[in-house]
Amino acid sequence: MSEMRIRVTLNGAPMELRAEAGKSLLRILREDLGMTSVKEGCGQGDCGACVVVLDGEAVNSCLVLAAQADGAEIITVEGLALQGVLHPLQRAFSEMWAFQCGFCAPGMLMSAYALLLHTPSPTRDEIEEAIEGNLCRCTSYRAVIEAIDAAAGEQRRGGLAAGAPDA
Amino acid sequence: MPLLVSSGAGDSPPERPMPELEVVGHPAAAVRAHEIVTGRALYTRDLGIPGTLVGRLLYTPIPCGRIRRLDVRAARRLPGVTAILTAADISGENSYLYSIPDQPLLAFDFVRFQGEALAAVAAENEEAAARALEAIEVEVEPLPGVHDVLEAMRPGAMQVWPDRPNVHSRLVIERGKVDRGFARADVVIENQYLTPWVEHAFLETEAALAMLDNTGTVVVYSPGQSPHRDRRQIARALGLPEVRVRVITPAIGGAFGGKDEAHVQIHAALLAQATSRPVLIERSREESIRTHVKRHPVQVRYRTGALRDGRLTAIHVEAIGDTGPYLGAGAEIMACLAATVFGPYRVPAARIEACTVLTNNPVCGAMRGFGIPQGQFACELQMDDLARRLGIDPLEVRLRNGLETGDEIPTGVRMRQAGGMKGCLIEAARMAGWDRRREIERAPAPHLRRGWGMASILFTVGMGRNVPDFAGASLDMALDGTVSLRTGASDMGQGAHTALAQLAAEALGVPLESVRVVVPDTDQAPNAGPAAASRTTFVSGNAVLRAAEPIRHTLLQIASEKTGLPLNVLGLRGGRLIAEGETLSLNVAELAREAALQSRGLHADGFYAMEYPEPHPPDAYPYAYSVFTFATQVARVLVDVETGQIKVEEIVAVQDAGQVVNPAAALGQVEGGCAMGIGYALLEELIVHEGRTLNNSLEGYLVPTVRDVPPIRARLLEYPEPFAPYGAKGIGESSLTPTAPAIANAVADAIGVPIRRLPITPERVLEALERGEDGRVR
Repeated sequence: MSEMRIRVTLNGAPMELRAEAGKSLLRILREDLGMTSVKEGCGQGDCGACVVVLDGEAVNSCLVLAAQADGAEIITVEGLALQGVLHPLQRAFSEMWAFQCGFCAPGMLMSAYALLLHTPSPTRDEIEEAIEGNLCRCTSYRAVIEAIDAAAGEQRRGGLAAGAPDA
Repeated sequence: MPLLVSSGAGDSPPERPMPELEVVGHPAAAVRAHEIVTGRALYTRDLGIPGTLVGRLLYTPIPCGRIRRLDVRAARRLPGVTAILTAADISGENSYLYSIPDQPLLAFDFVRFQGEALAAVAAENEEAAARALEAIEVEVEPLPGVHDVLEAMRPGAMQVWPDRPNVHSRLVIERGKVDRGFARADVVIENQYLTPWVEHAFLETEAALAMLDNTGTVVVYSPGQSPHRDRRQIARALGLPEVRVRVITPAIGGAFGGKDEAHVQIHAALLAQATSRPVLIERSREESIRTHVKRHPVQVRYRTGALRDGRLTAIHVEAIGDTGPYLGAGAEIMACLAATVFGPYRVPAARIEACTVLTNNPVCGAMRGFGIPQGQFACELQMDDLARRLGIDPLEVRLRNGLETGDEIPTGVRMRQAGGMKGCLIEAARMAGWDRRREIERAPAPHLRRGWGMASILFTVGMGRNVPDFAGASLDMALDGTVSLRTGASDMGQGAHTALAQLAAEALGVPLESVRVVVPDTDQAPNAGPAAASRTTFVSGNAVLRAAEPIRHTLLQIASEKTGLPLNVLGLRGGRLIAEGETLSLNVAELAREAALQSRGLHADGFYAMEYPEPHPPDAYPYAYSVFTFATQVARVLVDVETGQIKVEEIVAVQDAGQVVNPAAALGQVEGGCAMGIGYALLEELIVHEGRTLNNSLEGYLVPTVRDVPPIRARLLEYPEPFAPYGAKGIGESSLTPTAPAIANAVADAIGVPIRRLPITPERVLEALERGEDGRVR
């Protein structure tokens, strides 16, 4: 397999590494860059546990190859809080029990984050569409939807600037 | 948002004798919420240890056969391959599963199901591990196997085991005069019900990281529901004393019963022992679905006799469960079904038979509900059938038969607290507008039919009489008044640690933030038994209260000495000393420091074993349950009679919780149970053909997405449970149980034909419409 040099901006910081062109972004993030918030639930894009934000879009990182990630700006949950201040999504998820076991939470948070980047006032249907690819086996999704809605409201009110670095 | 009510129609909830609660009953964030939302919660595969080897298991190529050749010599010589183990390399016992440990860790003579492991590999990296698996030479001579449960029961059927009958057990529970009950019945109805194999589909597949520490102990990190039992099983296989094994439970990504059995912990430990290196085994999703235990598919024949007014006279139930080739807890699950299949009703006479049958199909075991959902599904469809037959409203037929406190059930137990039965039923009917449902459009379009259905269930708490059911817990107060809580009970997302922390805070009179739950670790925490059977809040909760008592007593004694006030007027609340409602200047931290100065310890262990003080009839079922929760759900569905598609429009879920410990978490359990129940009702079925599952992915095996879950209106009722901590009891499993029968009854209401087989797919709806009521199995 051919190794290639890959440059990414991860949570605002430029990174450079060598990886096999066919290695998944999921594995690069977890194994080479220490981003263990990125979870593997199926490895084939069925569950959404590995969702990260890549150039402003939510993607299943298990389906993205190293070569495709070259040059991209990537945000993971590790990049959501800014100087220890939680992002409104993180606060809402935490306060409203928008998870139980928590394994789906990072992917769910990143799908929601990408949604709010484009759609600051999402409708319920838009929220559902954004997390349609994120499976949660513990909750009924109700708390997730309400948490995203609450975070969107807080962001609009500007109570706190979004914690993530500029994407 | 708190949908808590403490009053409802029916038996009114008893007056609360408890003093005002400060922490219990109040919303609190999960103890690990911050770590989860920041991505720092560490699950097993997130624990990076330098030099960790990749562990993989070689699984059988075919579900059933005789192993003719298993040659690992060439594979062992490959570069990067550190160790390959087969059955011959296991120094201890080559078997596992709890209750009846009859599954080999590594098969050596026969393979009996598709998930059988043949060899364990440890390699420097994934590529080397994959090459090793390829290079192992395997020859398994195919054998036909037994794949049909009824076939397996026939005399002369092919044997799954040469020396064991296919029908492992036939449990009979009988109470009252059944023949007479049917003889005096005005109506007798009999139906057959079928439920499928169901997959847990926890988001985190199984994993275990094993290594040796500097005391010669094997340390295993793994998501497990029963760390002390896992320790025991690892020790048996490695031939070590139990104290030479340490099991640590990091964050668990869902379990639902599927991590109650050991999965890859023992294999990882064997490889670590063989290599003296850390070894991580992770199952892929495909491996996970192929290997771990499933919810039992069950066939239930249910016969119900009743008087014209709907009152039950007798039931006769025969249930057959396909448990696969290995027993583990299989027979206990069928027994649990049998000991509850009469539902939350007064049944004067019952004969219940439950068969546990061995086949070469997937191994079945614990999954949220432990056999009860299958039985209650049948029971609740029977009740609706009875209501239809007699022209009585489904609500009315349930109320006329509903259990009350003091009633005896067919296991010989008298109900300690059955207020939740009618309480939940009436409240759910009220919330759903049950009486007014006929005023709403039944056919909003020519091809659509709307229907309402209800299901009312009973669920057990604890392992039952004469079954070990105990927990320890320990508490340590530091000099600043903060508290470590050590428990062997796992939190797999159900919120157990948050609930236990709340109970500790309540009992000690400290703020919740002062209590830290230590990661379960068999080296540190007392055995709490499995996080199963909806028992953790009750059993571990009581252990926590017992540990808190002496610490609180010491603190108050010191306070009494310092203030000169008598002990009986003093209390602790929110970390402050109080006397007859007044807050004094002393706080818990000061009292804790004073305790240390006086050399008085602030550590205590609590131990609790489930109590059954009531006399039990000697001829009654010996393992009967005495603690129950009740739940009623009402489903409203819209069925498209052209396509067979079912849309669940709404679910109303009312759950008896004894005493709610954490409203947000409890509602999450109820709603999450409904979501899983919707999957059970409409979507989920492992397709098994000749012992192979054909849908080994989350693309092929559908679990509910956000689009599949309708609005759920949930409410919790509080009927304090005797002996329970502040009256609280588990609700995580009971909330799943009514959903499928409520939906099935709603579909029957919509299309006029009951469908007695899960899941209720569009094809089955169309089939049912075609055959009509007359074509039903009698």
